[in-house]
Amino acid sequence: MGAVVLKGRKDGYELILKADASIESIIVELKELLDNLQRDENLKKDTQFTFQLNTGMRLLSSEEKKQFEKLFSEYSHFSIYKTVSDVVNRQDAYDFMDKHNVHVNAATIRNGQVVTITGDVLFLGYVHQGGILRVTGNIYILGDVAGIVHAGFEDNSTAIIAGKIGNAQQVRIGDLVDIMEEIDIAIPDHTVVYVNDLHKLSYTKVDELKSIRPKLFVGVGGF
Amino acid sequence: MGKAIVITSGKGGVGKTTTTANLGTALAMQGKKVCLIDLDLGLRNLDVVLGLDNRIIYTIVDVAEKRAKLHQALIKDKRFDNKLFLLAAAQNTDKSALEPEEVEAIVRELKPEFDYILLDCPAGIEQGFMNAVVGADQAIVVSTPELPAVRDADRVVGLLEKFDLEEPPMLVISRIRKHMVKNGDMLDVDEITHHLGIKLIGIVFDDDEVISSTNKGEPIALNDKNIAAQCFRNIARRMEGQTVPLLTMEEEKKQGFFTRIGAWFKRS
Repeated sequence: MGAVVLKGRKDGYELILKADASIESIIVELKELLDNLQRDENLKKDTQFTFQLNTGMRLLSSEEKKQFEKLFSEYSHFSIYKTVSDVVNRQDAYDFMDKHNVHVNAATIRNGQVVTITGDVLFLGYVHQGGILRVTGNIYILGDVAGIVHAGFEDNSTAIIAGKIGNAQQVRIGDLVDIMEEIDIAIPDHTVVYVNDLHKLSYTKVDELKSIRPKLFVGVGGF
Repeated sequence: MGKAIVITSGKGGVGKTTTTANLGTALAMQGKKVCLIDLDLGLRNLDVVLGLDNRIIYTIVDVAEKRAKLHQALIKDKRFDNKLFLLAAAQNTDKSALEPEEVEAIVRELKPEFDYILLDCPAGIEQGFMNAVVGADQAIVVSTPELPAVRDADRVVGLLEKFDLEEPPMLVISRIRKHMVKNGDMLDVDEITHHLGIKLIGIVFDDDEVISSTNKGEPIALNDKNIAAQCFRNIARRMEGQTVPLLTMEEEKKQGFFTRIGAWFKRS
């Protein structure tokens, strides 16, 4: 006993499934618990009760998840709304790190080469004519770009590009493309490119960035 | 152990074959034992530039398919005493007739016998290019001072960097016309070198005699006085590790008789 603990939370009910108990014993105990609950006469029969499953230091396989779902489907007014755990997959953790980091990159991207990076990039290298730097997040340029830079690949239009882009062939954010040759305005070295409310690429000074994308600065440096 | 060097460019018609033939000739003149391999299957012409086209019996495809021994297929250039050899390409096959491993095996077999093995790469970046590069330890990228050639050279340098060669690629800028560079109508040597970001090993000036000597089947490097020949010989010396300054862009003015006399009386 004690493999399953029921807890009331502000936003509903939580079932803590102890990680050191076997799945079989948890299922048995959980069934017993749910049966007891259903028999409880104080329980309002017309309301739905949703539970958050907390697996602690264990990750459920999809097979095991199905077992729980099957168990809950036997009760008409009990259901799972979320499964949480204290641990994550190693690969998921790496992906998360990739996505939320600024990667420093000093590559020389030559004609015909495409470099694709997940996350944000601080770019110190060269993009030659015909080369493409393709990034899922933002691009901060300190190097030389004579080719194509693509931020927010494939469809993130909140991404920005900051730095020297006057010599680039094309600037792309999400699904938008600007051919630099066709842009009439002079583009200074410290420029920010972003997608404006009309879903068009827009160019502005770096100091405007704070008002355009205030969220970019949250969580770094503190107050 | 010899060095295998691939000579490539991406774009066609920039002077890969001319460079291969002349560097081979220049190295042989310095007493090195050199083997040239033509990998432009189907469109061979290194043999013609060297004037050896009448003497082809077996080709590299015959060697790869075991119809001939490697030493049977090597064609000796009689102008050089046992120093310069050619392994010709086949004409009646396409680039896919050879596998990269086969080229690699042939180069490996040649290495102990030769000081230099120069691989003449076909234009393009398809199978022919792959075949040529896998066998090589080093690469020489040839470009003319024109934007399309430089762009393609950039692409090829990018591909070469993926191949993990022993040394980074080296650059030869060919067909430079002095007067055009001087007027600013042609890309500058420094500009190209800086853009490609690889080591410049030599420049070759454009010269009419290159064409006429090619038509005779004599590599220009054999010509003592020619400026392009001098350029090729300088590159060969640099390959040998010598320090040779680049030839200058300045055109020596052919001064008339009276100007020269006048110069004596000019106040300095």
